[in-house]
Amino acid sequence: MATEKPKQKKSFAQTAFARYFIDFGEAIAKGDWAVKASLGVMGMGFFKRKQIAKGVLVTLVQLAYLLCFILFSIPNLAKFSTLGTVQYQDPKINPLTFEVEQFPYDNSFLILIYGIASLFLLFVFLLFYVHNVKQAYAVMCDAQNGKHVNSFKEDLQQMLGKKFHVTLLSIPTVGVVLMNILPLLVLIAIAFTNYDKNHMPPGTLFTWVGFENFTDLFGGKLSLTFGYAFKKVLAWTLTWAFLATFTCFIGGILLALLINSEGVKLPKMWRTLFVIAIAVPQFVTLILVRNFFADQGIFNQICQNLGILDLCKGLGLVNKNATFIPFLTDKNWTKVMIILINIWVGIPYQMLIATGVLMNAPKDQLESARIDGANKWKIFWKIIIPYILVVQGPALITDFVRNINNFNVIYLLTQDVYITQDAGLYKSNAKEVDLLVTWLFRLTQEEQNYKMASVIGIIVFVISVVFTLISYSRLMKGGREEDYQI
Amino acid sequence: MMDQMEKSGDGIRIQKMGMSQKRRIGGVCKTVLLFILACIWLIPILWLLVTAFSAYPGMSRTRFFPEKWTLDNFNRLFFHPDSILQYGRWFFNTLVIALFTCIVSSIFVLMVSYSLSCMRFPGRQGIIRFSMILGMFPGALSMIAVYFIMKSIGLTNSHIGMVVVYSAGSGLGYLIVKGFMDTVPASMREAAKIEGANEFKIFTRVMLPLCRPIIVYTVISTFLGPWSDFMFARLMLNSGLSKDWTVAIGLYNMLDKSLIGQNFSAFCAGGLVISIPIAILFAIMQKYYVEGVTSGSTKG
Repeated sequence: MATEKPKQKKSFAQTAFARYFIDFGEAIAKGDWAVKASLGVMGMGFFKRKQIAKGVLVTLVQLAYLLCFILFSIPNLAKFSTLGTVQYQDPKINPLTFEVEQFPYDNSFLILIYGIASLFLLFVFLLFYVHNVKQAYAVMCDAQNGKHVNSFKEDLQQMLGKKFHVTLLSIPTVGVVLMNILPLLVLIAIAFTNYDKNHMPPGTLFTWVGFENFTDLFGGKLSLTFGYAFKKVLAWTLTWAFLATFTCFIGGILLALLINSEGVKLPKMWRTLFVIAIAVPQFVTLILVRNFFADQGIFNQICQNLGILDLCKGLGLVNKNATFIPFLTDKNWTKVMIILINIWVGIPYQMLIATGVLMNAPKDQLESARIDGANKWKIFWKIIIPYILVVQGPALITDFVRNINNFNVIYLLTQDVYITQDAGLYKSNAKEVDLLVTWLFRLTQEEQNYKMASVIGIIVFVISVVFTLISYSRLMKGGREEDYQI
Repeated sequence: MMDQMEKSGDGIRIQKMGMSQKRRIGGVCKTVLLFILACIWLIPILWLLVTAFSAYPGMSRTRFFPEKWTLDNFNRLFFHPDSILQYGRWFFNTLVIALFTCIVSSIFVLMVSYSLSCMRFPGRQGIIRFSMILGMFPGALSMIAVYFIMKSIGLTNSHIGMVVVYSAGSGLGYLIVKGFMDTVPASMREAAKIEGANEFKIFTRVMLPLCRPIIVYTVISTFLGPWSDFMFARLMLNSGLSKDWTVAIGLYNMLDKSLIGQNFSAFCAGGLVISIPIAILFAIMQKYYVEGVTSGSTKG
């Protein structure tokens, strides 16, 4: 933090963690009365050093938090352990006053959300509180050692200079907390409750059930269908994510190289042609394509006229007495079609990105390779691909994860069209072509089975986190990002 | 590294000496291949285009090109709204949401990318790792929790709520831009620093102009997001009132199973119309894609 000491190189995380508290203790023990007073009134340490504006600001934050704690956090946290006890009752007409009366009741979901928000706020405030005391101590040290104490104006200037990252990161962080961290915490919490269609607030309460949902998934009475469906859906999700990412990535690079290669005139025009396909929003094109390949659709008519239908019958790809090719209604056909259609959707995007990245390719390396007489193939594999992998490596992983969660393609192509024949899958609301996310979505939308959806979500989450961290740290090892920053 | 100033913008054209004949044949082959590929990519779009002008309201099984051509579908979209079909209103809603989302998200993404790519501070690696983990979480699942959170603060069925939903978490999508910024030589920032620029100036005066192609990419992709998203909109704008809808939900509801027979060509017309702002935007900004970044601007 603010005190500067030589860094020790022990187990980094451990040291950093221990240090955090040691510094805090040191600040309290060695600080003068003003630093100690800042434990109570947070601005005191700064007032003593004539940093009035900073002191006022910090104290105001403290007051605001205390107010929020009393009015918002305490009532919700008090009920957090039970998630509410007062059952909802229909409004009644008071026989004396003839007015409609609504008795106060507990809404388990609001208690859960507000409770988690309160805990999170408390955590953030404690971090701020500790940081503040350390700052006060650091300023005291500076003042005693005769070092310069920043004025408020200088502090502000630093926010555009040395501490610019704080300025840049603060607002996006608030957004991420609101849209990513809080929902994540809420969902993890729901996995430990019995929130489903029999326990829907505000009508009924729900409460904590511990690990019951997890044992249900892995060994309880639900396991027969849920465990079966989970395995199948997981296998297809991973297969799909790998194939979708790989095909689009390679395809995009090849297309970009093809368009930029010598002998091709008007590269801009070609690029534009491919981009037209993505200028039309995905849900329009996907619904269009789904109708294009429908059982009674235009493409089936064309196949019939050209004899492709008979050819497929001959090859045993289609049932003998079928009158159409089940592009999006048979499980194997659908899986292949989904991947092909995804290539159609994904390659233009990847081509644009690859074009942008290739512009920045290390031209000196290309130059020297050419002088050394390397052929195009070698240049492609030895220079271009490694370069793209370093620059695009992290994005490739995000693509993989995005494909695991590729809701649009799967949902828009198969919802209301594809019907599963598998009773086990049907019982747990899954289909052969479902990804985990579309399955989860259906579980919540059609079955309101929030608890099981959350459990499955957590399992997926853990799997992908482990996978990502391993591959990401391997890619980033040795700080290779700096290789190309020169 | 020093002498690329004369390079044209056309990326990594690999030049070889001699054999112009062979080269010409290669060029023809490549062009033919590109032509075939382009056809595959454009057939559905062509179908969309011609069906939009079809006088037959449903989906034809036998004819790719319509039998009779008409402009009635557009006329119906814009000038004859009914209780379900209020296209003009949807278009306006989506445009407003997309514009604000685009502005907020692009700024967020650039801010995060710059600080994580160009600045070195304690906790940087931690933030990168942490954001990677967060990005793993199944989007559709958290969508439902997001819905509940927005509901508890009263922002469902509101367009402000939509902008918040689309842009608030966008800071996590920094990886591509950061990857690009990582390739910009650090020497350019050092030079600015020596001349006395603070980080803010380096960000706005040095990095942003250099990152133009990737900024264009960011702007386009964040603008495209709200246009093409319909699951969030479906969750958030669930009042059932047509005037609240975005184009995505509107068009989706138009093509309900019972309505597809009378709405398919109108759906195509609608899909065609919403692609126009995106196409225009792309035309304006396309030239930035092609411009190399470091080539010509580094002084070694």
